Amino acid sequence: MPRRNSRFFNLQDSVFKYLLIGVSAFVVLLFITLFYMLIDRSFPSISINGLSTLTGTVWNSAAGIFGAVPAIAGTLFSAVIATLFAIPISLGVAIYFTEYAPSRIKSVLSLFIDLLAAIPSVIYGIWGLWVISPLIKIYVQQPIVGAIGFIPIFAGPAYGLSIFLASMILTIMVIPIISSLSIELLGGTPPSLREGLISLGATKWETVRHVGIPFARLGIFSAIILGLGRALGETMAVTMVIGNSYLWPFETSSLFAPATTITSKIASELYEATSTLHIASLIELALILLVITLLINTVARLIINRTIKRGYY
Amino acid sequence: MDILSRRGRERLIKYICLLLTVLAVVPLLWIIGEVVYNGVSAINLEFLTALPAPFGESGGGIGNAILGTLIINAMASLFGIPVGILTGMYLSEYDRTSRLGSAVRTVIESLSGVPSIIFGIFAYSLIVLTVRHYTAIAAAFALGLMMIPLIAKATEESMKIVSNDIREAAIALGVPKWVRTTKIVFSIAKGGILTGCLLAFARISGETAPLLFTSLFSFYWPIGIDQPMASLQVLIYNYAMSGFQNWVIKAWGASLLLVIIVVSINVIVRRFAKPKYKAGV
Amino acid sequence: MSNSTKLDIQNLNAWFCEKHALKNVNVKIPDKEVVAVIGPSGCGKSTFVRCINRMHELIPGAKASGKALLDGVDVYGGMDVMDVRRKIGMVFQKPNPFPNMSVADNVVAGLKLVGTHSKKELAEIAEERLKSVGLWEEIKDELKKSGASLSGGQQQRLCIARALAMNPEVILMDEPTSALDPASTAKLEELVKKLKNEISVVIITHNVSQAARISDMTAFFYLGELVEFDETRNIFEHPKNPLTERYITGRFG
Repeated sequence: MPRRNSRFFNLQDSVFKYLLIGVSAFVVLLFITLFYMLIDRSFPSISINGLSTLTGTVWNSAAGIFGAVPAIAGTLFSAVIATLFAIPISLGVAIYFTEYAPSRIKSVLSLFIDLLAAIPSVIYGIWGLWVISPLIKIYVQQPIVGAIGFIPIFAGPAYGLSIFLASMILTIMVIPIISSLSIELLGGTPPSLREGLISLGATKWETVRHVGIPFARLGIFSAIILGLGRALGETMAVTMVIGNSYLWPFETSSLFAPATTITSKIASELYEATSTLHIASLIELALILLVITLLINTVARLIINRTIKRGYY
Repeated sequence: MDILSRRGRERLIKYICLLLTVLAVVPLLWIIGEVVYNGVSAINLEFLTALPAPFGESGGGIGNAILGTLIINAMASLFGIPVGILTGMYLSEYDRTSRLGSAVRTVIESLSGVPSIIFGIFAYSLIVLTVRHYTAIAAAFALGLMMIPLIAKATEESMKIVSNDIREAAIALGVPKWVRTTKIVFSIAKGGILTGCLLAFARISGETAPLLFTSLFSFYWPIGIDQPMASLQVLIYNYAMSGFQNWVIKAWGASLLLVIIVVSINVIVRRFAKPKYKAGV
Repeated sequence: MSNSTKLDIQNLNAWFCEKHALKNVNVKIPDKEVVAVIGPSGCGKSTFVRCINRMHELIPGAKASGKALLDGVDVYGGMDVMDVRRKIGMVFQKPNPFPNMSVADNVVAGLKLVGTHSKKELAEIAEERLKSVGLWEEIKDELKKSGASLSGGQQQRLCIARALAMNPEVILMDEPTSALDPASTAKLEELVKKLKNEISVVIITHNVSQAARISDMTAFFYLGELVEFDETRNIFEHPKNPLTERYITGRFG
C-alpha cells in the first residue's frame, strides 16, 4: 500500500542519513582524539622538561635530559635547503611542461612526476643509503673536503650519511609536489591573456614570465609551502641517510657530518624508549612537528584553493 | 648569436628548463633501475614463500613480510575505504554548508597534510600503550586513517561531478534519497571512487613510519592480528640498515616488489581514469 | 470538452527567497487532456509546473504556499512527497536517462530501484512502455545498451517511458522538444496526443504553434500570474486578454 511504503522509505532515508552523519562526525572525533592523545602522552615531558626540550642541546635518555635543538635544527635546515633547491628545478619542469614539451613527452613526463611522488620513502632511503651515499662520499664530499675543508661547513671527515645527503634526497622528494601544482597553475592561465601577448610576438618564455608566473605566483608560493611541509614531515628516507647523530650542528658545523631530525629521532628511538619521560619527550617532539606542519599546510591550502577557484591573483 | 637577443634568450631558457627537467627525472629512472638491478637477483620461489633464515645464515625468504603487508593493508582498507566513502557521500549529497560539513572538510584537508609518522604515534599512543604490546591492529588503524582523506576527497569530487539533471530525474520518479545517492549517483561515480581507493592503497603500501611502532616486525608467520607482524616496508628498513649482505639483498628484492605494486597501480589508474587523479599530492 | 478535474490548484504562490515568482494561481487541470503552458521567459511557467510535483521546494531558499488537490487530496500536506512524485511524473527539457543503466533498466528504474516487482514483471513493463512511446521497434535489439547511448529524440522518449512506467495520474513536461530536431519533435508531439487517452498532460512550451497543435487547453502566464486559461481554440482565435493576444502574435516574449 502506498502509504506504508512511504513511511518505510522515509525511515530508510533517516537511517542512512544518520549513518552518514555519524561516520563524518566520527572522522572529526578521530582528529580531535589525535591531538588529545599526543598532548596527553607528551604531558609528562611538557610539565617536567618545560621549555628545555626546545632549548636544550643535549639528549641523554639515561640521564633524563631531553634537549631537542639539534634535531629541530636538522629538521628545519634540511627541509628549507631541500625546498630552496627544489624551487628552480620544479619551476623549470613546470615551464618546460606547459610551454615547450611536445604532447607525447607530456604524458610520459606527467607519469614520471606522479611516480616520483609515489615512490615510497623507504625506497628513497635504501637507494640513498646504499647507492648514493658511497658515491657522494667519494666523488663529492671528499674532493670538497680536500679542496676547501678549512671552511667549517665543508670540514671533514666526509661521512656519506650526513645532513648534506639528507637534504639532497629531500630535494628530489619535494620536486614532484611543487612541479605538479605549478603545472596545474600555469595551465590555468586564462588563454585570452596568453594569446594577447603571443599575438604581439612574444616568445614563450616572455609569455610565461610576464603572464603565466605573475598570474600563478600566489599559487606557486603555496605549492612551495606545501613542499616545505612535506619535507619537514618526511621520515624514512631521512632516517636512513642522515646518520642519526647529535654531532651536527654544535660539535661540528660541517654539512658532511651526520645529524638528526625530529622524525629520524622518533623513528630510531621510540621503539627502544622505556621510561615514561623518554617516550613523552619523543611524543612532545611529534606534537611540535604536527603543529608546525598543520599550520604550514593550512595556510598553503587556503591560498591554493582560493587561487584555483577564483582564477585571479 | 647574441646571447642577449630575444631569440637567444628564448633558446637558452628552453634548454635550461629541459636540463632541469632531465635533472628531475634522472633520479626516478636511477632509483627504479637500481631497484630492479639489485632486487631481481633476490627474487626466487624461496624468497617469496619462506621465512627469514636466522641472522648470519644465508637463504631464507620474506614470505611472512609479503603476507603481513597484505593482511595489514586489507585491514586498513576495511577501515579506511568505507569510512572514506561514507564521509565523501555525506559531503557531496547531504551537506548543505552545515557546521559539521565545514568541520569535516577542514579535518580532511588537515589530515592530508599530517606527516605519516604522526599517525603512527597516534596509533601507538591510543592502542599500543593502552594494551601494552605491539599489534598489527594499531598499524591497520594508522594506515586506514591515512586513507580516509584521500578516499573521501575522491568520493566527494567524483559524486559532485555527476550532473544535477540525473538527480532531478531520480527525484521526479519518487525514488528515496538513499537509493538515489547509492544506486544512482554513487554508481555513476564509481570509476573515480575506485581510482581514489587504488591510489590510496598504493600510498599506504609504501608507508613505513606508521608501522615502526605499531606492527613492528616479526621473523615468523603472522600469528594473530593483535600481535606484531612483519611487513615489506619495515623489512626494507631493518634489512637495509643492518649491513648484513644477505639481508641487504633481500631488502632490494622487497623493494622491487613494492615498486612493482606502486608503479603498476599508478600506471593502471592513469590509463583508465580521468587525468584529474594524480598520486597523493 | 468537460472532463472532470484532475488537479485543482488553489491560491498557489511561490517564491525564490524574496522574489515572488508565482502570484495567486488558481486553475483546474482537467483529466485526460493536454494543457499547454505558455508565456515569455521568466513568466513562471517552469516554477508553476515544478510546484505541482513539489520539485520547486528543492531549490535552496524556495518556498511555496497554497493547495494543489490531486483527485481531492492536497499534494502539499495530504500525502508524502515521494508519493506525489510517483503519481505526478515529469520529463525535462534536456533528456536525462541514467547513464549507468541499460535502456531496459532505465524504463523501469522507478520501480526497480525500490524493489517492488519481479524481474519478469519488470521486463514486461519495460516492453509495454517502450511500445507505447514508439521505441520498441527501434531498439528492441539494443535493450542492454546504456541509456545514454541513444539519440536525443530516443532518449527523450525513453524518459517519457520511464515516467509512464510509474503509472502516474499526471505527467508534466518542461519544454520536452526544445533540445530536439524537427523530426524527433514531430514524433514526440504525436506521442503527446496519444498520451492524453490515458493521463493528463501538462506541457510547457515556448513554441506557440506547438501549443496550438497539440493541446486542448492553454494557460498563459505573464510575470508570475496566470493571465488566461481557456480552450486552446479560444485562446488562439479570440483571446480575451490583450497581453495574451500580443504574446501569441509574437509582439513580445
